[in-house]
Amino acid sequence: MPVKFLTADKLQIFIDRLLASSTVFSPSNQPGNVIRYTQANKPEDICIDYVNSDISPKELFFPQTEELFSFDQTDEGIDLRVQTGYKPKVIFGMRACDVKALLTLDPVFNSQWPDPHYAKNRNETIIICLACDKALSTCFCNTFGIDPVAPEGADLVLISYGSGYIIEECSYTGRELRELYQDLLTQEYVHLEKIKEEKRKQLSEQFVHHVSPSKAKETMDNNFELPYWDEISRKCLGCGICTYVCPTCHCFDIFDYAPEETTGSRCRCWDSCMYGDFTKMAGGHNPRPTKKERVRNRFMHKIKYHLDRYGIEGCVGCGRCIVKCPVNMDITSIITDLGEVK
Amino acid sequence: MNQSFNSLTEELRSVAQELLREGKVNMFIGFGQGTLTARTTPLFISKPDAAAALTWSPFCSNNLAGYLLDYRETNETIGVLVKGCDSRSIIRLLQDNQFPRSRLVVIGIPCAGLLDSEKVTLELGPQTEIGDVTDEDDNFLVSTTTGQHRFAKKDYLLPKCLECIDSNPVICDHFTGKKINIGEVNERFVEIKSLEALSPQERSRYWDGYFQNCLRCYACRNVCPACNCRECIFDQAGPDWVSKRNNLSENTAFQIIRALHVAGRCVDCGECDRVCPVNIPLRHLNQKVLKDIDELFDAPMPGTDLEQQPVLGHYCADDPDEFK
Amino acid sequence: MADSPLIPFIATITDIVDETSDVKTFQMVFDDPAVMEAFNNKPGQVAQLSVFGTGEATISITSSPTRNGILEFSVKNVGQLTTALHQLEIGSKVGIRGPYGNHFPYHSMQGKDLLFIGGGIGLAPLRSLIDFVLDASNRDQYGKVTILYGARSMDDLCFKRDLFERWCRLPDTEVLTTIDRPEDAWTGHVGFVPAYLEEINPTPENKIAITCGPPIMIKFVLQALEKMGYTDEQVITTLELKMKCGIGKCGRCNIGDKFVCVDGPVFSLDQIKAMPPEY
Repeated sequence: MPVKFLTADKLQIFIDRLLASSTVFSPSNQPGNVIRYTQANKPEDICIDYVNSDISPKELFFPQTEELFSFDQTDEGIDLRVQTGYKPKVIFGMRACDVKALLTLDPVFNSQWPDPHYAKNRNETIIICLACDKALSTCFCNTFGIDPVAPEGADLVLISYGSGYIIEECSYTGRELRELYQDLLTQEYVHLEKIKEEKRKQLSEQFVHHVSPSKAKETMDNNFELPYWDEISRKCLGCGICTYVCPTCHCFDIFDYAPEETTGSRCRCWDSCMYGDFTKMAGGHNPRPTKKERVRNRFMHKIKYHLDRYGIEGCVGCGRCIVKCPVNMDITSIITDLGEVK
Repeated sequence: MNQSFNSLTEELRSVAQELLREGKVNMFIGFGQGTLTARTTPLFISKPDAAAALTWSPFCSNNLAGYLLDYRETNETIGVLVKGCDSRSIIRLLQDNQFPRSRLVVIGIPCAGLLDSEKVTLELGPQTEIGDVTDEDDNFLVSTTTGQHRFAKKDYLLPKCLECIDSNPVICDHFTGKKINIGEVNERFVEIKSLEALSPQERSRYWDGYFQNCLRCYACRNVCPACNCRECIFDQAGPDWVSKRNNLSENTAFQIIRALHVAGRCVDCGECDRVCPVNIPLRHLNQKVLKDIDELFDAPMPGTDLEQQPVLGHYCADDPDEFK
Repeated sequence: MADSPLIPFIATITDIVDETSDVKTFQMVFDDPAVMEAFNNKPGQVAQLSVFGTGEATISITSSPTRNGILEFSVKNVGQLTTALHQLEIGSKVGIRGPYGNHFPYHSMQGKDLLFIGGGIGLAPLRSLIDFVLDASNRDQYGKVTILYGARSMDDLCFKRDLFERWCRLPDTEVLTTIDRPEDAWTGHVGFVPAYLEEINPTPENKIAITCGPPIMIKFVLQALEKMGYTDEQVITTLELKMKCGIGKCGRCNIGDKFVCVDGPVFSLDQIKAMPPEY
């Protein structure tokens, strides 16, 4: 079948023109060899040679710190001002798991009481994906039925093939964007489905974890109290790494920043259910007082609560929490262990 | 010396089993097999039979001393496995009365250095299973499902291990294995000296590049045995000394306050550096403080001697500086 | 972005009543009457109150929607925001957003006798329903109203004017009060609320019990009601968890897959029993 093809030497021109016409965010190499999505100003800022970013691109839609409004109190009253500077942007180089994570977050932010901050970012962002060629040993997106070479939710997908990339458009926006670069593309005749199948096969050989969350969920459905949570939570440090690198965690705090007292801003900021004070009330009562309740809540949220509430899995198998956890708390082994509870 | 880690593991298991069986400890904190190549995980066992799950290898990087803080309010007697560097944390915790000596059993193990699990995994491939490891002085010989691999210590050890000053625990009740002498180590503070040589602007640029990526996940704080405040000021509801807003200024304030707050209690276990998800070289901050302690007070590394007063934790009347 | 549900509307404090040494009831009016018109709160709902520069807190609306044009909030001084609120005066500006959460099932309560059981500041959310039911426009749709209320001491009794001057004088309405320990000036009942409840022993026939108070009180009240033969569907309570957004996004008020801010705060006992005990 005919496909649009971008040769590797034309990719540079594609990127140049993209940078000249849009605000582009892409994976970049940060100090300490950390891959994070940042605004790309020149082609060298863009890192293509990566398997998955250290920090998920969730932050481009739901930033760690976001000003909701600013306030100014005078004798006449209070003036609230809302920032409106949302610029349309293009993300270049997202992975399938991270796009799926947005589909996971959508019902949280867009359902009852829609959140315009998130919606604005979501509606005005074009997503260009890079189909995966390599998997990390911690990747397990296959567990959740995610197709790493055909990302659901992308506008445009680049699939590496031979001496360049097959360009696949997945939305009307993607088509419009592709048409802008028509002059760079050639027409090739390939068996696209066969190419994808080959890639899937290669990737699946690299996946180490093959787990079944349905059995774990069944255990969770039937057991809230399990000695397992006591045991597994002992090693947890109660830090926020797993929640902050997670592409589907959405907890936040709201607070005022007002060093001048009468003027300031109300911000929201990522928060973590692993922190001891997350659910602690002003009077001192804490419904999740120890690591046991907090660890249980996080994994129940990922495997059960999100799915029960929104009908979509709460985990996308990106494996960041496994890579980054300082004590090797591994969600795949928790899924396995819980699946074996009789 | 050709010490086999499997044989040390066997010895360790029987020590732990014995302590649990005789009721000398209610809980033993050691290491178990991790879920990834070249990774281990902290293991908490309370039944003698479970000792069989303990392991010991150059991948046991966690400092387990900090877990004692989780058991401050219990009546349990805790057995904890420590390497040389970790044992300094034990001393500092005891000096600060953070844990009662009477409920603590320290199990020491000699350590010839820890291998950087990321580097080793890159070399071995992610699906390789590791068997026994043998210490060959300059190298570790690692047996795996894909054959034997030799890792030169100078290339594969964690940076802190190349400057190790305590290969044997400085405090322990039970010693596993035989004391070792790792011989010559690298000069300390080399990187600190080169950072000190930078202009303030250059140094600021260096740290800004890292601190702008700080996620404020507080893993550095939570893993740190020296961070043992009952309530951390960064968690206090108010006043907001440091705002929750994530930006370069607040992140820098957090990191600098933390480094200065653990001054004199930091024992250079390097855990903050290891756990940081965005690879901020936090050990460099703490080492600067340690270097100053070394030069200005001519004091040994904190946590080296239980009897000696902590360097920044006591007052003496003949202090050369005025106390205002 | 003006449509953001996280941006409050400005209101002015129009009255402050000192209920106890640490509880004040604030009467508030939106500066823009159109906002009040659209607010449309129902008994049992909550709102987020802002003191700009300090932050926000979730407070239950203690006034009945039948009180046109005003909102009342009874606030115990326990944390940072409530301390800041307590320092405000009549005329001070605050922010309000809401109303959030479900409400008391006042439709299905029609034709029933209502037994309110409150402790301490826990009477605040019940008061919105009590005043709604006792309002002349609704009164004939409900049976007898019994209000059983207790506090640690005389000083800790909230809404004294409602209890001793208003509600008790209304027809088919009974007010029973108790304090934990005897006091010289107190001639009423002495003892804990659950014990008093057992003394009165109200029959469950055609009755709905609505309770709110400290967790320990609720626990024993629920036990007492069960002993008296109340079914789980006949017992309604409200839960209070730490909330930030109020709109089911910030993730901290979850009990299992429920968010108290949107699925609660009002739950029947059978609903509560189906949830994990994390409240």
